[in-house]
Amino acid sequence: MAATALAFKGLSRRFGPVRALVDASAEVEGGGILSVRGPNGCGKSTLLRCLAGLLRPDRGTIAARERGRELASDERRSRVGYVAPDVAFYDELSGRENLRLYSRLRGLPPGRGEILLERLGLAGERPFHAMSSGMRQRLRWAFALLHAPDILLLDEPFQNFDAAGERAARELLAERLAAGALAVVASPSDVALPRVAGELLLGG
Amino acid sequence: MSSSWAAEAAAVFVKDWRCELRTRHAVATLALFALTTLLVASLVLGPIGNDAEMSRRVVPVLVWLIVLFAAAAGLPRAFVHEEESRTAIALRLAARPSAVFAGKLVHIATLVAAIEAIVAPLAVALFDLRVAAAAELVAALAAGGLAIAAATTLLAAIVAQGRGASTLFAVLALPVLLPALALAVAATRVALTGVAEGNLLTLLLLYDGSVVVAGFLLFPAIWNP
Repeated sequence: MAATALAFKGLSRRFGPVRALVDASAEVEGGGILSVRGPNGCGKSTLLRCLAGLLRPDRGTIAARERGRELASDERRSRVGYVAPDVAFYDELSGRENLRLYSRLRGLPPGRGEILLERLGLAGERPFHAMSSGMRQRLRWAFALLHAPDILLLDEPFQNFDAAGERAARELLAERLAAGALAVVASPSDVALPRVAGELLLGG
Repeated sequence: MSSSWAAEAAAVFVKDWRCELRTRHAVATLALFALTTLLVASLVLGPIGNDAEMSRRVVPVLVWLIVLFAAAAGLPRAFVHEEESRTAIALRLAARPSAVFAGKLVHIATLVAAIEAIVAPLAVALFDLRVAAAAELVAALAAGGLAIAAATTLLAAIVAQGRGASTLFAVLALPVLLPALALAVAATRVALTGVAEGNLLTLLLLYDGSVVVAGFLLFPAIWNP
């Protein structure tokens, strides 16, 4: 049995009259990727927000296990590495300062952020407000991987990257999977992914 | 490795001040508002230094209204800005809710203290007031400032979750802040005149304790879904 596992059943979420996510169910274990696909507006981002503990589903259950023990919602939130277009950082701080802040919040040494900046090819001196969209995406990856999470929730994770950025992110993803982490990857189109253990098609 | 609660709260506090000092958004707005209001009031209310008795009655109200309006104008930004700029997502994932509340509360309390540090000495000087009990004045300012900071931190967190944040803040702030303001004004007047009016400072501290405890209890449910 894998050390980490994530399962969800019958997840649904409405925003007023809009049914953003309807009856989504799947499961994935450590070392594997659950690929979530579907057209724009089918609920991929809503699903990932629910799994991250950032949004409460109207119906359905989410169960995350770590070495056989089920994680509470707060524990799950703290173990998640989350990359999504709606994640932003402090405009007034540089990339390095932003990562140092999250390192302090998570009780990590600042060196971990430095390694990730280097791996992702991000200088780290530029303030967040002055970063290009590709640099912002690199910083999102660094933030998500800072605490070496066992649950990766990746919403359109390779968007805005140049070839070098995508290569670095894919290498880091492969390393986390090899270390026993699981990933849920949402994208509107067919993206080549390693170690795909399952697929979920939304809005099909 | 996991961080201590105090380290998380300190990180939020330091981050808020670092961002604030780089933009000077709140500090500049609040200081300008406080100074302008006080100077205009001191000019309009007659020649400075006249009618000491009236000044002792009017100045406490004036000082606390300036602190309140400065707070109402600038402090909702604490959480509304986190939501609007979408930095709240990363903060939710990385920090415990109670540590976020504590960090924000201390940041806002120190902002209010900074406003008071400008307004109170200036008011004493412009109105040529004699302070009967300086230690009690400092205590009234500290306890009243904490009351305003704690209440506005909690209210700002609530209104940041909905639309029409500014209007909602104003509506919610009135009943919550009215008792604190009445007590703070009375305690400041007592410090200026030296005439005791019951144990106002104790009541103010009780209010502080109640709002801070309520904040720590309610905030996790407000902050996380």
